[in-house]
Amino acid sequence: MRVKTFQQLKQNPEKFRPYWVREAVIDTIRAFFKKEGFHEVEVPLLLPTPSTEPFLEVFQTELKDDQGKKWQAFLPSSPEFALKKLLSAGSGSIFTITKSFRNGEGHSSRHNPEFTILEWYTTPGDYMTVAGEFERLMQEILYRARPCKLGSSLIYQEKEYSLKTPWERISVTEAFQKYAGIDTETMLDEQKLRIKGAEKGYQVNETTTWEEIWNQIMANEIEPNLGVGGPTIIYDFPVAQAALAKKAKDPRFAQRWEVYLAGYELGNCFSELTDWREQEARCKADLLERKKLGKTEFPMDTDFIDALKMGMPETGGIAVGVDRLAAIFADVPSIQDVLFFPSEEMYNTKI
Amino acid sequence: MSSMRANQLKTGVFVLYKDQPHVVVKCEFYFPGKGSAFARTKMKNVKTGNVYEYTFKSAEMVETVDVDTVELQYLYSDSDIFYFMNPRTYDQFEVAKELFEGKDKYLLPEMKMFVSFYENKPIGVRFPLKVTVKVTEAQEASAGNTVNAPKKPVTIETGVEIMVPLFVKQGETIIVDTETDEYVSRA
Repeated sequence: MRVKTFQQLKQNPEKFRPYWVREAVIDTIRAFFKKEGFHEVEVPLLLPTPSTEPFLEVFQTELKDDQGKKWQAFLPSSPEFALKKLLSAGSGSIFTITKSFRNGEGHSSRHNPEFTILEWYTTPGDYMTVAGEFERLMQEILYRARPCKLGSSLIYQEKEYSLKTPWERISVTEAFQKYAGIDTETMLDEQKLRIKGAEKGYQVNETTTWEEIWNQIMANEIEPNLGVGGPTIIYDFPVAQAALAKKAKDPRFAQRWEVYLAGYELGNCFSELTDWREQEARCKADLLERKKLGKTEFPMDTDFIDALKMGMPETGGIAVGVDRLAAIFADVPSIQDVLFFPSEEMYNTKI
Repeated sequence: MSSMRANQLKTGVFVLYKDQPHVVVKCEFYFPGKGSAFARTKMKNVKTGNVYEYTFKSAEMVETVDVDTVELQYLYSDSDIFYFMNPRTYDQFEVAKELFEGKDKYLLPEMKMFVSFYENKPIGVRFPLKVTVKVTEAQEASAGNTVNAPKKPVTIETGVEIMVPLFVKQGETIIVDTETDEYVSRA
């Protein structure tokens, strides 16, 4: 039996340090958004139906009343739909720091089935408005929450990263060309990408999808070059990789960016889709895809579509992994080091 | 030759990567969220020692290398070579220092562990996660600084210094975690 975190803390009180950095990170986030004029809102953790991302597996449970009547219930995989209902209702810019849940994931220093997520939505705004806010937020955390200060740099696992703004920005197109030697036409075409992928030595067979090859190239050839000396914002993803985002000028791409730092994907941002017809069509397609992938099936959240019908304002929105952020600022190797009760420890599944 | 799905890879598994035998030194589930799952690995070429990072598709089949794993007993060391014996056949083997990844500092005569062989050469060592060792040198705890760090350094029989709680005395036997170099308990 391994020594549990709470037992280690008793033995080594200095091990509380990363947890108090985590606390300071969260305090700073909250103070930052309040100062920027955002409202903080709470979202439910028990839902009649969750959001539709095809690749995310959900936690399912049951709601019962005193008569024994039962309803399906789910834990949210993200607070996104709830927040967009509020935006459509006219809340103005909002943020939440909440728990989200993802099932069916393997062992990783970057994942816990239950995790803390920060989402904020700026209105009026778009994905680049949010980029500026994220840059400022990270400066603020650096200033407030970091135990030892070193100008605009941060030390993570013995490497130095500069948070100086503006951060490096590179489009997905440029990145595929620069780091993988793949032109846009090849990147977007299933057949061409299959050939290219096989040439590069990736396993490609009849069941391999465009998405798998694309993500495998991203993981092996592009990601290692992102977030190396400081954060990198990689933007304008192929439309197929951005179900909830608005299209970019080039309609083959969507207004989505991700930010990388020190080997972590820290956030995923969109210019939010406001067209309810388009959203409804994408949700339906997602649910079909879920069925195909053998994921838990559930009905579409029609309240979400009804909310968009009331008129969702022009909004830039982002989801940020707070545990990852805390791990970086606390300078610990895994997100489990900033969780008092990591799932793998409670369930004894640590390898 | 056999194979396994990439999402079943674990630290210590031997795989064939680019036609070369590699040992998986790190393997993590990786999930872009907007796509399918992957297995992100770090692999060490067992012949050259070079380390590669590679991300497999979760469902991808990865060829594994057939290795023989035998429990051996440690005898003694001579500079950077460590001599082990098969307690059944009395065959002796030389194991190179780098296979211990720094844990050779906990080696004590007669200690047993599993050693993997590829083409009759040792390529991997499964070092015990915990070792029981004697404290050879310990100062009596001083009264100061007991609030924030109630610990003191002691020397164990292999010559390594370990931080232990103040109550541990010279001559006692303790259990040490070889992964984290931390004191676990009194033995």
